[in-house]
Amino acid sequence: MTLHWLTYCLEEAFGSLWRQRGSAILSAITIAAAFFVLGGFLFATVNLDRVLARWSAAAEFSIYLRDDITQDQRVALNKLLEEHPAVASRDYVSKADAASRFRRDFPDLAEGFADLPQNPLPASIEARLRPDRSDPTTLEAFAGRLREAPGVADVRFDRRWLERLGSIVTGLRWAGWLLGGVLLCAAVLTVATVVRLALHSRRDEVEIMQLMGAPISLLRGPLVLEGLIQGGLGAVVALIALGTAYLVVRPQLPAAFGPLADPGLIAFLPASLSVLLVLGGMAVGSMGGYLAARHVR
Amino acid sequence: MYGRGIYALQDVSLVVDKGDFVFLTGPSGAGKSTLLRLLLRQDLPTEGQVKVAGRDLAKLTPGQAQSYRRGIGFVFQDFKLIATKTVLENVGLVPRVLGATSVQQQRRTFQVLKWLGLQHRMNAYPMELSGGEQQRVAIARSLVNEPTLILADEPTGNLDPDLSFEIMNLFRDINARGTTVVVATHDRELIRHVGRRVFTLDHGHLVHTA
Repeated sequence: MTLHWLTYCLEEAFGSLWRQRGSAILSAITIAAAFFVLGGFLFATVNLDRVLARWSAAAEFSIYLRDDITQDQRVALNKLLEEHPAVASRDYVSKADAASRFRRDFPDLAEGFADLPQNPLPASIEARLRPDRSDPTTLEAFAGRLREAPGVADVRFDRRWLERLGSIVTGLRWAGWLLGGVLLCAAVLTVATVVRLALHSRRDEVEIMQLMGAPISLLRGPLVLEGLIQGGLGAVVALIALGTAYLVVRPQLPAAFGPLADPGLIAFLPASLSVLLVLGGMAVGSMGGYLAARHVR
Repeated sequence: MYGRGIYALQDVSLVVDKGDFVFLTGPSGAGKSTLLRLLLRQDLPTEGQVKVAGRDLAKLTPGQAQSYRRGIGFVFQDFKLIATKTVLENVGLVPRVLGATSVQQQRRTFQVLKWLGLQHRMNAYPMELSGGEQQRVAIARSLVNEPTLILADEPTGNLDPDLSFEIMNLFRDINARGTTVVVATHDRELIRHVGRRVFTLDHGHLVHTA
């Protein structure tokens, strides 16, 4: 009976979608628009999370050294860093290394940089912090001590602005879900309306089947499946549109993001999220179909 | 009883035996269609009982009601064929919906269509059929599941006299095979032609039994 039920419902659902293909396509487009927006927000937040994670793993304290720092001052500074429980590791970046990084990150300015009489960029020590020792007050105090250490020109503490950026990303994610939620509700109602129209055009058939004694699941099943197919189709169209947009924009990424992050970090949605989007589309469509099917009793 | 004290049927008591062929007659608004709807469990009585084969229809659950309806064939005045399906698909819908395999469904459907002389019209759509042919398709649909009871509501209402007699003869043949037949009609000529038990309704009351 289950296989029979599924076969019958699928045949009826596809038949109905074909007969009402105009409105079914419009419904799928509405769902595609909703999932395109949702997918776009997911794409943005997933990649922002990736960039933030990379930045968080990078230097959190950048201690810029004076050009005239003595060896003793260097040793004392290293000892200060080594002994602090919050410091996980540190790397020395020479003036030459700093210059190389500048030329790599700002290729347009490399020529002008080469014309300078001397390398203006200071050497630095990049200290990475342990995640379990990240009390902001303690770290601020430590940054203050480092600033006052002999041989130190300046100290940059990245954590605060990373946290702010993280908050922005979280806000963006919530805005995406909110907007996506509104669009999804609209999509559910659109599917329900389209399926209800299809039901109306088949009211004689449904009445006859009710009088024949057809089980209610056989009357409602095709309607729910109609919604599921429209929803799944809409989500797939959205994914294709997102993928196409990504392929078009991808060559522009190094120019846009070069100084901020490795463009190689930016990737399309992972397969799991893509599958989730399609399943979400089917769920939204099914909900719309079920709303319409409730009128069959 | 419908709202505001309007009685479609009142103090109606009748018994139809298994294998009977009975007519329900009376003027328009007499309550014929209402009685058929009660027998089909589309409506429930506000008072009294409707029993078919010993079962009180009011006490059936929705699932039991659907199961009950599978044993009944129903024929409408306006045929109620599905315009987007062929004759074969219209008649085959019943076994298909009720879980018959494709082979069983086709065999049984063809049998019934052949018996009613419609096998050559299997692939036609309802719009391509005459009134008589459409009603025969509707009858075929009501028969394909081998029901124990056939209910027909003005089955010849849209047909000319010759076709009407032809349809009534069909019902007589169906009855001869053991199916209980209840036909609602206001056509006295037909009743006279078939010559079976008649219940006459008027303004919701049973006024005569013959």
